[in-house]
Amino acid sequence: MLQRFLDPKILGGISGLDLVAKTVVDGFIAGLHRSPDFGFSQEFAEYRAYSPGDDLRHVDWNVYARTEKMFLKRYRGETNCQVTILLDMSRSMKFGSHATEKIEYGRFLAACLAYLAHGQRDAAGIVIFDDDVRNFVPPSTRQGQLARILHAIESAKIGTRTDFAHPFRHVLEFHRRRGIVAAISDFWESPEKIIKTVAPLRFRGTELVLFHLLDPEELRPKLKHPVLLEDLETGDTLEVSPDYVAHEYPAKIQAHIEDIKTRAQAAGIDYFQIDTSRPLDDALREYLAIRKGKL
Amino acid sequence: MGFLAPWFLAGVAAVGLPIWIHLLKRHKTDPRLFPSLMFFEKREMSSVKHRRLEHILLFALRALMLILLALLFANPFIKRDPAAIGGKKVLVIAVDHSFSMRAADHLSKAKDEALSLIAGLKPGDQAQVIALGGQVQALTQILSDPGELRVAVQSIQPGDSRASFGELARYIRTLSESTHLPLEVHLASDLQKTALPPGFADLRLDASTTLVFHQIGKPATNVAVENVVAPARIFDPKKVRVQATITSFAAPDESVEKSQKNVSLVLNNKVLQTKTVEVPAGGRAQVEFLALDAPYGFSKGEVRVDGADTLPADDRFYFAVERTDPRKVLFVDDGRHPRAQLYYRAALDSSGDSAFQMEVVRPDVAGNQQLSHYAFVVLDDIGTVSSTLEDALKKYVNAGGSVLIALGPASAAQPKVPLVDETIEAAAYAGREGDRFLNVSEIDAGHPAMRSVERFSGVKFYQAIHVTPAKSRVLARLNDQTPLVLERQMGEGKVLVFTSTFDNVTNDLPLHASWVPFVERSAAYLAGSGAEQPVNLVVDSYVELRAADSKSAAAEVLDPDGKRLLSLEEATTAKNFAVNKEGFFELKTASGRHTLLAVHADRRESDLAVIPDETLALWRATGSDQTAAGASGPENERDKKPWPLWPWLLLLLLVVAMAESLVADRHLRPAADNPETRRKEAA
Repeated sequence: MLQRFLDPKILGGISGLDLVAKTVVDGFIAGLHRSPDFGFSQEFAEYRAYSPGDDLRHVDWNVYARTEKMFLKRYRGETNCQVTILLDMSRSMKFGSHATEKIEYGRFLAACLAYLAHGQRDAAGIVIFDDDVRNFVPPSTRQGQLARILHAIESAKIGTRTDFAHPFRHVLEFHRRRGIVAAISDFWESPEKIIKTVAPLRFRGTELVLFHLLDPEELRPKLKHPVLLEDLETGDTLEVSPDYVAHEYPAKIQAHIEDIKTRAQAAGIDYFQIDTSRPLDDALREYLAIRKGKL
Repeated sequence: MGFLAPWFLAGVAAVGLPIWIHLLKRHKTDPRLFPSLMFFEKREMSSVKHRRLEHILLFALRALMLILLALLFANPFIKRDPAAIGGKKVLVIAVDHSFSMRAADHLSKAKDEALSLIAGLKPGDQAQVIALGGQVQALTQILSDPGELRVAVQSIQPGDSRASFGELARYIRTLSESTHLPLEVHLASDLQKTALPPGFADLRLDASTTLVFHQIGKPATNVAVENVVAPARIFDPKKVRVQATITSFAAPDESVEKSQKNVSLVLNNKVLQTKTVEVPAGGRAQVEFLALDAPYGFSKGEVRVDGADTLPADDRFYFAVERTDPRKVLFVDDGRHPRAQLYYRAALDSSGDSAFQMEVVRPDVAGNQQLSHYAFVVLDDIGTVSSTLEDALKKYVNAGGSVLIALGPASAAQPKVPLVDETIEAAAYAGREGDRFLNVSEIDAGHPAMRSVERFSGVKFYQAIHVTPAKSRVLARLNDQTPLVLERQMGEGKVLVFTSTFDNVTNDLPLHASWVPFVERSAAYLAGSGAEQPVNLVVDSYVELRAADSKSAAAEVLDPDGKRLLSLEEATTAKNFAVNKEGFFELKTASGRHTLLAVHADRRESDLAVIPDETLALWRATGSDQTAAGASGPENERDKKPWPLWPWLLLLLLVVAMAESLVADRHLRPAADNPETRRKEAA
């Protein structure tokens, strides 16, 4: 079956977030031979190349029969983990050079993650934030939790500025157990400060994933004439020339992305940059494939 | 290079406008939202620089448009050498054929001079031949065929007009403006001083015109009959006096003493009297002939002075006389104003020539009279006019007769003035006691019937009939604005209305000195039957052939040689005619009146004094600014002609405006509408 990717424009046309998440995730899972072992909670199996000294009981002989290579099949515990999604609702997310703004894309992504976690029977929760926590649905496996999360996402309103410090402190307070924290933001902050803010979560054994949403216009702005740019968050204005935008800006934004990526890797944090013009299911699939490989 | 209106150059300051728009004005744009300005830097310099580069063409075009506009208003011109314009010039050969050129062989010499100029023309040279008289007559177009030019010169005949150098200068100016070529004007003339116009400015020539004089003949003493005073009509030959003025125009360098001259009065080519008169050099002498035994009808009179001189053509002076019996005037009176006919008859009889005989009839028999036998008819306040009489009068007037109507108490009750059909409003009264009377306040003193009446000064009007003039012309008004004398043209004839009476009851006019002149002038005017015109005329005068609204009968003019001068169409339509040579013209006007006209040349032509050299030099220098630039400027600078640049500037402005539109459209169109943007987006 051919993989079909859902254009963000199509997703934007779907009214309910639950339907969006279902459409994305179900189709995406169907495309990847639905497997109970597949997911990003700790319950699914892990394959690892055999190395001398490993217990032969864990060798997956079926794989060996097919590939003549030895892989260890490791079983994880069956306990559910906490999945906390942090969704940035700052004003800078209200930007889009095409049909889907970053905030919409972020909503879809958050809904998809929540749907995935719910499918895995993990305790999912969400934190909506800008410079402070605007809404918080604690992780839970109770019935109706997905609906609560989706409602929180849907009813979230655009805030003001981004400040990671306060929301992450809040997460630190309630996130006692090991789990997964997925932060969805455009991360318009210095990489050092971002990592410094989120790294303490990692120290507690929590897995941290940064979804860095960027509009194509943010990556490669196109200007024909000198224009006056206004910062969505601060309201500051600056006259910029097409020369600068064409030659210097792309290098700076790429350096910024690389910086975050490097620092995240150094801190053991997963980092995944998503172009919002890209189909969401495609992006998710790629991310999960990477994560699977890693795990 | 110069500017005709240099103050408009101040408009160049408007160039500051595009500078302000393009460079100084803050670039107002709607800010574009962006998530974060983290990685942007302020690079305003590069931005402005970019904008400059982007719009520099538009700015240049706009600035150029304003500069061109200011220049256009300043009307710049450059001085160009006329020769450099095309290297061509037009030779204008003017031959004077005025009356004075009849002296000796002046005209043939002038023609020889013109022919020698034509002989000197090179192939391709262009020339025009003109004849100068009272008017300038172009005998050829501007052409380069010497043969045609020669024929034109040879066709010039002696004329009787008076030369006018003012007309010549005007023609040359017009020619220069129309051809845009430098002119070289050669004037072959006796350069009479009297041909100069009153104002020297009328001689002005264009800058590209060169004037060359070819003086023909020399100033010489000339004796002429300058003027003859003779009556146009003779009723009693024994009472006629003919006065002639003999003038000697002396040349300044000739010492001529007074001379004895025989002056003859000639009538119909028969010498009636001869007198000897002593004419002082440079002076005048009067000769008077008593009695003129002319036969009935028109006679051709002439005063001759003997003795050959340079210009024999002015030794005679024509005049025309007509001998007639006194003409009859029909005075229609119902007997209510017995003194009116007394006063009117006395005034008619006392006028100089005893030209009229008055017949008095009652209104009831007036309609039976043969009115065409009368010079004019007077209706003396007869009140009701019978339809028979009114019809007869209308017929009479339309055929060229004249009527004088006096309105008095009998007419006050009538609704309208008979014949002229004007409404009678009321009678304006003033009491006899005290100072309550009316005077004449307005008068048309130029009207032939109103001349010499001295504004009816001192005449007191106690009653006048107030007539509202609808179709009539008011010749005199009283001080309460009541019209006193009105005139209405009807067909070929005319009617005068006097809104008071001719006795001394409603006014005391018959007791004043203005009474006789009024009667005499009005009678002469009314008896004139048509246009009142003199019978002794100067060459180039106009003769009236018919009244403005008359289209009835044909007019006829016979020249001194007996040739008919009017074509059939002209005979029925022409209103006037110009007599262009000396002699006797026979004239029959549309009203059927026959006249003999004596036409003589303007006697200013007899003065052969020549224009001084200084005046000629000034005239030559008028157009080319030689007097102003003369001492300082080089010769060729003076000959340069201003060449206006506005047509080229206007063309350039149009081109720049179109270019500006295109460039502005490209630069300033909103990005969404820009085809280039759309193309990129589509790609």
